Amino acid sequence: MALEQLSDVVQRCQAIQDDNYTTEDYSVFQIAGRTCLEDGESAQVLSIVLDEENKNIVKCMGWNLLGPLVQILLKKEENNLPPHCLVILTHLLEVCSPKELLVGLLEQVEEAHPDSIAETVILLLQPLQKVLLRLGSRKASSVGMALSTLLDQVARLPVPQTKEQEEDDVFSLCRCCSALLVFVRPFVEEAKQSRTPKEDELRTELLKFSMKSLCEPLLEVQLKDPETLAESPLRNFATEILGILSDIGESLPDLLSHSLLRRREVPGFLEEEVCYPKESLACLAYLLFVQHIAMDTFPTVFSSVFILQCNMEYINLFLSRTEESRLQKGLDLYEKSLVRVEDNSLPVQLMELKSFFSVPQNLVKVMTLCPIQHLRIKGLKVLQLSIDKFDTEAKYKFFQCMLKTSHHAGVEGYIIKNIKNQIDFAFKPDKGNEWFMGAHLFPLLRQVLCLPQGPETDLLQNLDRVMESLNLLRYLLIRDKAWRNQTGIWTELYKIEDYYMKPLRTGLNMSKAHYEAELQNTKDNSKKTNAKESQTQESVCSLTVGNEKMPNMTPEMQLQVLHSALHTFDMMESVLARIEEIMEVKEEP
Amino acid sequence: MAAELTREWSDEQLKSDDLSKKDVIKFIQDNAAHSFLAEHKLMGNIKNVAKTAKKEQLIIAYNDLFESKRFLGSEPIEDVTEHVKNVKIDDKPKEVVEVADEGPPKFFKSVLKKGDKTNFPKKGDNVSCWYTGSLEDGTVFDTNIPATARKKKQSKPLSFKVGLGRVIRGWDEGILTMSKGETAKLEIEPEWAYGKKGLPDSKGLDMDQQRLYFLRQLKKFGMPTSVLSKYHCAIESIMAW
Repeated sequence: MALEQLSDVVQRCQAIQDDNYTTEDYSVFQIAGRTCLEDGESAQVLSIVLDEENKNIVKCMGWNLLGPLVQILLKKEENNLPPHCLVILTHLLEVCSPKELLVGLLEQVEEAHPDSIAETVILLLQPLQKVLLRLGSRKASSVGMALSTLLDQVARLPVPQTKEQEEDDVFSLCRCCSALLVFVRPFVEEAKQSRTPKEDELRTELLKFSMKSLCEPLLEVQLKDPETLAESPLRNFATEILGILSDIGESLPDLLSHSLLRRREVPGFLEEEVCYPKESLACLAYLLFVQHIAMDTFPTVFSSVFILQCNMEYINLFLSRTEESRLQKGLDLYEKSLVRVEDNSLPVQLMELKSFFSVPQNLVKVMTLCPIQHLRIKGLKVLQLSIDKFDTEAKYKFFQCMLKTSHHAGVEGYIIKNIKNQIDFAFKPDKGNEWFMGAHLFPLLRQVLCLPQGPETDLLQNLDRVMESLNLLRYLLIRDKAWRNQTGIWTELYKIEDYYMKPLRTGLNMSKAHYEAELQNTKDNSKKTNAKESQTQESVCSLTVGNEKMPNMTPEMQLQVLHSALHTFDMMESVLARIEEIMEVKEEP
Repeated sequence: MAAELTREWSDEQLKSDDLSKKDVIKFIQDNAAHSFLAEHKLMGNIKNVAKTAKKEQLIIAYNDLFESKRFLGSEPIEDVTEHVKNVKIDDKPKEVVEVADEGPPKFFKSVLKKGDKTNFPKKGDNVSCWYTGSLEDGTVFDTNIPATARKKKQSKPLSFKVGLGRVIRGWDEGILTMSKGETAKLEIEPEWAYGKKGLPDSKGLDMDQQRLYFLRQLKKFGMPTSVLSKYHCAIESIMAW
């Protein structure tokens, strides 16, 4: 039936001049053609299509058969390959209008079924390439459109995370990426050759493609190093993308410093965002400096401080996110950038740059709030690394800033320990400096030796900070002999007693009294409930963690906590007592 | 503004060895007008000017200054605003200015081909160079010259703004002493190049260097080449430790 319809419409149209076919003609051709193909009559369709008499008809209407053809080819079963369909497709690709073919093919790509994205893409890459090459010098925007559509689909595929997943490539992301590279190669070659304005358009489209790839999928990818996985399609893909950037005339150093040096008033601002998106550049920096991709083409002459400056923008971008993969990349990039710099060399002027302020803030967030332990640990390691690289004045400013802004006792304690180390270092012969030994030491110490709420400060919450402060004070009094008084601590001591030690002593006494009373209370209560039936007590508050209500604390647990609090106060008190001891000894002649 | 300066040094004093080139240069730089310095090639880092200028030239310049009275602040307004404009442009993106430490230059330049001797770059100028970087033993670790470049995709000279701390210091200082078209060999000490650590780890060179050194040492001890090649594999695994 359908075959007859097809033959009829074709016969009728043969007589029509100048391609004046009606919409109905098109419609009948399409529907009849599709039905024939679906019914397995592809051989007949082929003969109709190849018939010289039907040349014009096929040229105008043929592309409408693309849809059904592609669907059949996708559905192909192992033993049931439709040979004619492939031949029909090949013929159509050669005779129909490239613009129409492009529309038809891209439609198929966009409408790819979620379960067959990879198959669709891989099937259609070669046809697309063929069609685009037929467009000649007008191909640039079409190439861009095709690449964008293809990448959109490939981005939907799950990214392999482990080495085994990459090897198995169950969802075929690796295959797609490799096929994409083959697809884009002739266009890159063309863009490489000439310098005409037309080629500039093609270069721009290839730039957009490379940038988009850097974002999706490359930003998600966890590359394995060559020792772990010798043949890695994803690593290959990354390398080739960077290669394409070089081929089209983009200099890697210029790309890297783009965020840093770009002026805000560039005309066509939106174009900038599309051509040089920050996330893609961040991925580029990561691939270069952490994965060493294309590093052998990157000039070695750039100063490590400049590279660090460039990368800070990207590190900040990564660390502002919460996903593990982003944070990991940010930490790795920061680490690799810092390692290149000499110890004690980063000057204080750098601290004025916005990124040099934001990154440590974000780092603190990771260290204190991130639920993933290995990231918290790494965060701390990188923080210490960054401190080691600052010069003395920069360290000083950094410590001041951190004490003011971190609002976290653990971080403050860690910084105070660093301050102690710097003071210790300054005692060494020829290492004295005005920041940790001279006039500037006391303003810093004032910041360190401080109880934010006076005697009412919660000493348990501020445990880390208080202990480190006391340790620092004790250290200073022991290390700096009263008769030398290099740091001036002995002259300042009476002030410190006043604004720090006395309120601390008061606070300790109050806290101890309070907790001792609580302890007694709890002991009394538990005696009472033991006498009664064992019923769950009404507690003052309940605790819910992750949608699960935590069981009330048993009296034993409560006692444990209270004991441990008292133990903590004892610890603080003992250091305070030791300090007072040292002070008294000095007073004796 | 253009206070009448008095001559501090007589001709004999100038010629004597007691007065160093640097002292004269410093005086002239502190007191002469911008354009005067440019004309007499006395701009830039004192150490570098001292390297290129002869004492006789300096004496001439010194005398010239007092004759022409082209002291600082004596220039017409346009010149001053030009100077200010240049400073403003430097300010815009927050660049980090290298803190120049007082001390001898940590590089040595040998001119291989003279330049035009007229066009010298200033700090902040865009320069383009073809270069080859090699270690002391001659191993090339980086180049952008097409004939010798192995993996370079494009043959473009390296462009950057000089004197702003974007490249290693040896380059920042060295290139300022080069005129357009000049070819020179810059031997740079570690502090102004890659520091004690050496080249940044590019997962390639350092290992190769170490491997080469290892093999050379073995050869020195008389190990025959046939055996050496077998040791190549053993060395790979040792390197991995």
